[in-house]
Amino acid sequence: MMDFFMKYGNKLITAIITHLVYVLVSVSIGFLIALILGILLSRMPKLSKLILPLISVFQTIPGIVFIGILFLYLGMIPTTVVIALTIYAVFPILKNTYTGLLEVSEEYRDAAKGCGMSPIQILFRVELPLALPTIIGGLRMSTIYIVSWAVLASMIGLGGLGDFIYIGVSTNNNTLIIAGAIPSALIAVSLGLLIDVLRKRVIPKGLRRDML
Amino acid sequence: MIECRNVSKSYGSNLVVKNLNLEIPDGQFIVLIGPSGCGKTTTLKMLNRLIEMDSGEIYINGKNILNMNPEKLRSGIGYVIQQIGLFPNMTVEENICVVPRLLKWDKDRCRKRAIELLEMVNMPYEEYSHKYPNEMSGGQQQRIGVLRALAAEPPIILMDEPFGALDPITRDSLQDEVKSLQKRLKKTVIFVTHDMDEALKLADYIVFMYNGEILQMDSPESILRMPSNDVVREFMGKHVHNFTPSQLICSDLMKTKVFKTTEDKKTLECVSIMSRNEIDSLIVVDEEDHYKGVLSIETVNQRGKAGNIIHDLINADTPVVSMVTPAKTAFDMLSEKGSEYVVVLTDEGKVAGIITKTSMSKALASVVWGDTV
Repeated sequence: MMDFFMKYGNKLITAIITHLVYVLVSVSIGFLIALILGILLSRMPKLSKLILPLISVFQTIPGIVFIGILFLYLGMIPTTVVIALTIYAVFPILKNTYTGLLEVSEEYRDAAKGCGMSPIQILFRVELPLALPTIIGGLRMSTIYIVSWAVLASMIGLGGLGDFIYIGVSTNNNTLIIAGAIPSALIAVSLGLLIDVLRKRVIPKGLRRDML
Repeated sequence: MIECRNVSKSYGSNLVVKNLNLEIPDGQFIVLIGPSGCGKTTTLKMLNRLIEMDSGEIYINGKNILNMNPEKLRSGIGYVIQQIGLFPNMTVEENICVVPRLLKWDKDRCRKRAIELLEMVNMPYEEYSHKYPNEMSGGQQQRIGVLRALAAEPPIILMDEPFGALDPITRDSLQDEVKSLQKRLKKTVIFVTHDMDEALKLADYIVFMYNGEILQMDSPESILRMPSNDVVREFMGKHVHNFTPSQLICSDLMKTKVFKTTEDKKTLECVSIMSRNEIDSLIVVDEEDHYKGVLSIETVNQRGKAGNIIHDLINADTPVVSMVTPAKTAFDMLSEKGSEYVVVLTDEGKVAGIITKTSMSKALASVVWGDTV
């Protein structure tokens, strides 16, 4: 055990950091894109019924294929990984933002309008706060997905915990596989917990009761 | 003052509000009532442009609302809805202060207003201001809903069936509170309901709508006494004849089918009308339908000659009353003077109907045993 850490410790730490950076960067960018797209789509539900299925088709393309194709065009740079992961991060958040906004019941919109709020004020003061639990649910799902998708980065030689897993698999070294898998799992679980904490903080008290 | 001029609205080919004209004086409690689909909610929502009219004009205090910014218009008009619609992500205080904050009141002023308003409905600020809507009962929530509408001191409040979802006891006490707030603060309230009890209790004026049109606009008293037509009468149902005997007036119980003749008719003609209809007297009127007197078969028999006109035979002794004379007076006249009937006259002196002993007893029976007329 000690031997392992002596030998791979630094590499492991670098891999974990790289992995985390991939996840955090792509989920953050994905979150922003998804939020904006979700808001736009919720303004035009009719069009969205066509667009959303189209986007979800992207989701079904296996990550390996996608990273591979991007690699052909962009080359071996971190951007390739980030773009691919971002695209995968978008969909769950987009879908939840969209449904979350549409699920805000008409009475609140009616009341807000009747109080004299403008569409933007309604969005920020009423609709987004009410959709927040759902949106954060999407964020959580995305994050956990992306932690596992980020393993693919090493496929095009861009590091992360995937390195350990791939090398382990190809050299039949179980220790290496576990050394890659356990931290990924831990990252997924702890990021999930982190988001749960965040969720408790940002969701207004008045909405918490209905949540569980 | 709110003025609607020739306002129309349709959805597709369905005309929901037809050429509506309505004037609402300041400080009045107006109730829009009618069966569902009559256009009352649409009318209400056109006032704050939640629904845009297709044609016509609405003026509030002389200003055409189409020339106003819709958000500004709405923040100057209170609005209460049936589903309450308190924002669940906001506390009671935040909910109350939604409109003041939109109008950029400072924090202190908002807080003072919230304290003041909560006091008005006996909900102590310390206890309630930090509660969330889901921590309160429906009745308490709608109280806050009403306060939210009052917060920025708008002169006009629109209420769309605000108490429809509440239990009867809560509804009753909220009605009392809203009515007393309205009187105290001298607000113009426009209130939509389909509940006649509620309308009669709250309204200064009831506007009865049906198929997108106003059938009648009147005080609760007059709408009860004189429903303008059968639709209104039917909708009012049990309320129409539901008076105590002392409240009955002559128009409630008169017979409107009256046999009339003019004073230039000849005796035989009149006698034949009487015999054909099995009656013993006729009401005599002039060309403009003004009451002249009564021609009875006895007088014709004693003094009449065949072929003479009846002018000299008319008897003006029959007691007359007006439409709004208490029924009791008519009853006393019938029993004291021993006449067969009393004649009910309109304000212009035209014949509206007669009250016989039979019509009197029918009316009294309906009071005692319900609507049998």
